Amino acid sequence: MTQASRRVIDSRGSFCPGPLTDLFKAYREAKNGDVLELLATDPAAKSDVQAWARKTGNVVEEIVEEQGYVRIVVRVVAKSG
Amino acid sequence: MTSKIVVVGGGTGGTLTANLLASRLKNEINNGRVSLTLVSGSDQHFFQPSNLDIAFKGAKPSTYVRNQRSLLRREIAFINEPAKKIDLHNRKVVAGRDIQYDYLVIATGSVADPSLTPGLAEGSYNFHTTPSAAEEIWRALQRFEGGIVVVAIAGVPHKCPPAPTEAMFLLDDYFRKRGIRDRVELTFLTPYPHAYPAKPIAEVVEPLLEERNITVSTFFNVESVDPARKTINSAEGEEVKYDILIAVPPHRGAEVVLSSEIGDKDGWIPAEKHTMRVNGFDDAYALGDATNIPISKSGVVAHLQSGVVAHNIAGKILGVDGERRYNGRINCPLEVGGGRALFVSGSYSRQPQPMKPTRLRYLMKKSFARLYWLTLKGTLEPIFDIYLKEEERS
Repeated sequence: MTQASRRVIDSRGSFCPGPLTDLFKAYREAKNGDVLELLATDPAAKSDVQAWARKTGNVVEEIVEEQGYVRIVVRVVAKSG
Repeated sequence: MTSKIVVVGGGTGGTLTANLLASRLKNEINNGRVSLTLVSGSDQHFFQPSNLDIAFKGAKPSTYVRNQRSLLRREIAFINEPAKKIDLHNRKVVAGRDIQYDYLVIATGSVADPSLTPGLAEGSYNFHTTPSAAEEIWRALQRFEGGIVVVAIAGVPHKCPPAPTEAMFLLDDYFRKRGIRDRVELTFLTPYPHAYPAKPIAEVVEPLLEERNITVSTFFNVESVDPARKTINSAEGEEVKYDILIAVPPHRGAEVVLSSEIGDKDGWIPAEKHTMRVNGFDDAYALGDATNIPISKSGVVAHLQSGVVAHNIAGKILGVDGERRYNGRINCPLEVGGGRALFVSGSYSRQPQPMKPTRLRYLMKKSFARLYWLTLKGTLEPIFDIYLKEEERS
């Protein structure tokens, strides 16, 4: 069994196509139990990631307002197979 | 001793970088102190944004193609061979023969690859792979008498974020002109939470899509296509039927990047987002679609990054000038049908703001198709330099 991993995705400065593009890319490679930590300056990132997690069944574990950006921690739990 | 500059790739980024370097280092090249080589497997250069007009307006591909050599300044040695290997540690590119470099620019672009999604190649049309694929869409639309047309984003990132949204508007225009719009159901499947990835722009286009009776299904992550049943399936188990499926295929980096193992798993080259320097190397740069920089894969990005990279390489060779930095500026037209367009404009520190679609902005988009060939020669750099003057806010 492979160990769960933690990956930081730095999307600061990405507004178009935006942080979700980077999150989707990382999500595709992730497995259940992995933690994805998204750093974003796009103000829509928070609500977009929350909506995505609700829709896909993944878990937003933490949202932290850092200096000039937001850090969103997602635990991957909804992958099939 | 000669400083050897090699540019790999003959798209917007590679062609412009080489031309700007040739212009800036003309004397040094002519007296043998600098050599400048562009390597590209293609001897033709295609204006890729025209694929939308080919697919949805029946434009002819031949209008938008030029001979690659004709676009390059005479100081540039053009090697018309595909690069087979890029060896960053031994400073060489293999393209028919070994080409040593002192400075390398990798502008190998991205590849839309339908084979990355099961059933997609057999079950869908696309306007991202080749102009002839875009022509197939136009032919299919002309044969079509009614039913369900689905446009789906099958993978991110992809070239030109506005293109799939534009496709919806252009399809609506097309079927209205034919007088069969009431017989056609138009559906847009997107993995994003909105009809456009950047929310402020989505807020402009979503009411327009609704007005035109176009269904938008968000958070749809394409998993597979069943060409026999004509269904497209999401990773979350949704199934959507179609009669015509037009998909944005998943994209990856160029073959040479993957085989040379200089990119990530998908072939995107890790590079610093202001200087485009390849991580860990001070003599190699990657720009445009080829990188993993979190910015749209679009011509304007490749263009502006080319200006920065060419300036900085020339400055190093000449021993002059301060280093320029790319500020993340984008400026992408988005056509909303009916002869109107808006621009998606922003930077690393400025998110795109809502903009009213107008006729003038549409005409600006159209005129760029003709100006493009001049922009590749660097003729319009004073205009593009204005984009780079925008200060990045911290």
